[in-house]
Amino acid sequence: MIVLDNVTKRYPGSQDVLSNASLQIEQGEMVYVTGHSGAGKSTLLKLIAAIERPSNGTVLINQQNVSKLRESALPYIRRKFGLVFQDHKLLYDRSCFHNVALPLAINGITGADAAKRIRAALDKVGLLHKEKMMPITLSGGEQQRLAIARAVVSRPSILIADEPTGHLDQTYADDILSLFSAFQQVGVTVIIATHDALTTAKQPHKVLHLNQGRLSMPEVSV
Amino acid sequence: MNRWLNSHLQTLKQVIARWRQHLFSNLLISLTIAVTLALPVIVYLVLTSFSHLTSTIQSDSHISVFLSSSATPTTIDSIHNILTTKEMIAQFHFVPKAEALKQLMMDSNNSNIISTLPENPLPDAFFIEPKSLASEAIEQLKNELAQLDGVEAVQVDDAWLKRLSYLLTLGQKALLVLASLLGFALFMVIGNTIRMQILTQQEEIEVSQLIGATHRFIRRPFLYAGAIYGFVGALFALIISTAVIALFNLSISALATAYQSDFSLRLPSLEVTLITCLTAIGIGLFSAYFAVAKSLFKSIQ
Repeated sequence: MIVLDNVTKRYPGSQDVLSNASLQIEQGEMVYVTGHSGAGKSTLLKLIAAIERPSNGTVLINQQNVSKLRESALPYIRRKFGLVFQDHKLLYDRSCFHNVALPLAINGITGADAAKRIRAALDKVGLLHKEKMMPITLSGGEQQRLAIARAVVSRPSILIADEPTGHLDQTYADDILSLFSAFQQVGVTVIIATHDALTTAKQPHKVLHLNQGRLSMPEVSV
Repeated sequence: MNRWLNSHLQTLKQVIARWRQHLFSNLLISLTIAVTLALPVIVYLVLTSFSHLTSTIQSDSHISVFLSSSATPTTIDSIHNILTTKEMIAQFHFVPKAEALKQLMMDSNNSNIISTLPENPLPDAFFIEPKSLASEAIEQLKNELAQLDGVEAVQVDDAWLKRLSYLLTLGQKALLVLASLLGFALFMVIGNTIRMQILTQQEEIEVSQLIGATHRFIRRPFLYAGAIYGFVGALFALIISTAVIALFNLSISALATAYQSDFSLRLPSLEVTLITCLTAIGIGLFSAYFAVAKSLFKSIQ
């Protein structure tokens, strides 16, 4: 469970990027974070993923207060999340297989055990036949799916994606969104930021709308 | 434990693979490190060879105690008794003036001159071999002996050894300065190399941190790289210094033979090898640690 209580984030020399945001996300929920670019979506996701700490307020992840944790404890919190970044952040100096291997190596899993899980993750996103290829040779949609494979390979309980369909055409975008739905159906919390007016989502979901750093929760009926 | 060992093994494999990818440039860097390391190693080896020389020669050195010409057999006896009680003295022997004269006469060049002398000009003498070679202890013994009744003069035949040992002390200080300066240079060379590597792997570091890599995990491959640079550099340095010493020894042994000595410069011993390797590895680790510390990201509070 993720709880934000009166969270404010401001960077040195700027206004509040996020002000007094409070929210609660249950395990297994599907959550969309919407809003214009610059509304604070990425910041909200970074706060949830313990990449950044709030300037004010508390962020609780499974009852752990991120603001109070020591710097050295943060990496272990981050491992609970699978992250899909806006710009993929794939490593172009290694094959698809080795890109997906990175989170496992960080968790100390290597060798045959790791290989099995990497192939399973690649299979899930439909890239098993491209494991030896370099990411640069993949299309935009494939790169996005590779990023998702990397995010899910260590079986996180929370999946966070920042604009995963941003640069994709509709068919690819639908593909990606149904992938996320599939993860949500097996109990993974999925949090997706998007600037698109929603959307093609077919599952029931919660919407968090951000406008200039202010959070509102419009009712959504599916 | 197993997992811990495994992750270290994986890192080592990965670092070695990267090393081999850029084998040529890595060898050049190691050679730079080697030259930096070889210089103090060579100076050290030369210094220890010479200080070994002084200690072996010093063990043949004597203290000569010359008695005054008026010394009676009783005085000689009492000095003899005092000498036997001194703990500092390993052994000694007495040479009466008559015997000294006889020894001198054996050289035919001298015999003509000596036979013209009205009386024996030589004094009775004790020749002492001290136990300790420490110059302070010898100095003290010399002073004590000079106080004795009937002793005219005490002479320690180590003047040139003293000069040499002062020079060696100076050399050791110079070595210390040289080693510290070059150690600093080594620190900078390895640190810069690691910084370059970090630049090329900046993306990987960033992503790894975002998805939960600890600082230790990020740092580990760079520490290994630093240690490997140090180790390979040290090995090259030992090869270089062995070659240089061997080259010197070719000329030195010829020179030493002319002086009827079997002196030669010492090659790196096991101890020197170990210390060189460990020092270089230590500097490598240390400078890699500092290089990485700067590029680790901190979450903004």
